[in-house]
Amino acid sequence: MTGVDDSDLAIRAAEGDPVAFGELVARHAPMARRVAHAVLENEQDADDAAQDGFLSAWQAIGRYDAKRAFRPWLMQIVVNAARDLRRRRKVRTTEPLEFVAATSRDDPAREAGALDLGEQLKAALATLPERQRLAVVLFDAEGYPQSEIAKMLGIPEGTVKSDVFHGRRALRKVLESVKEEWDA
Amino acid sequence: MPDLSPNDAMPDAKLGLALREALAMPHDGAFVTRLRALVRQQPARGWDEVLAGWFWQGVLAASLAAVLGAVALRVLAVPATPTMNEESVAVQLLDAERPGTDVLMTAMAGIR
Repeated sequence: MTGVDDSDLAIRAAEGDPVAFGELVARHAPMARRVAHAVLENEQDADDAAQDGFLSAWQAIGRYDAKRAFRPWLMQIVVNAARDLRRRRKVRTTEPLEFVAATSRDDPAREAGALDLGEQLKAALATLPERQRLAVVLFDAEGYPQSEIAKMLGIPEGTVKSDVFHGRRALRKVLESVKEEWDA
Repeated sequence: MPDLSPNDAMPDAKLGLALREALAMPHDGAFVTRLRALVRQQPARGWDEVLAGWFWQGVLAASLAAVLGAVALRVLAVPATPTMNEESVAVQLLDAERPGTDVLMTAMAGIR
């Protein structure tokens, strides 16, 4: 189904075509899982949230406005599902299982020396407030415009700008220890 | 990584790539296969089902509108001031020829 754009697939899905929606899942699953991972800091939880998000989107596909881009509509649902799961997990558990590097949240930069770039980045991300983390990931990693992120997170665009600025600054601080690798 | 500025509206390509790699999760294919199976099991809600989901809210809203409308009609139907064709007390007093002026005066004095 290559060559068919997202909106056309979403219109077909809204008419009840599960194959069209399956194609949308295949196209956007990697991004949805990454964004959920950024919120939840745990792969299993991220998969659960991404799955919840896709199924909610499937149930709500009849309300999708084909004049708007599909990707931000879907991602807003996934972000909400991940935030919702995080709130529920907070009640049940106290500590994420996977971002072990983030156990030293007081001084992640010191701990980061022993880890590779990816682990250091995850450890650094874990030190950021959830909103800053989402703003940096959605802007720098996923390429959403700041105005779209503002709508997705329900905050003013100026706040997104500020969150991206502070998030990047915090990541850079942690990554100074691998500057050579970063600049290479 | 480029220099940072609060007004920097351009994504940082290097940071973005590193973040995507750090947050990437394995087995995308298995995830998609599982989700496609779940989607087939749960048919999407059509417009009629979406509308049906709003049925009771619609009934409630219509009832509320009907009650408010009835109240508004009642309020509008009761005149707050004397209507134009009713003569004021002053006009009735000025008309000395009119029978019953003394009765009116007596009544007003009684009120005070």
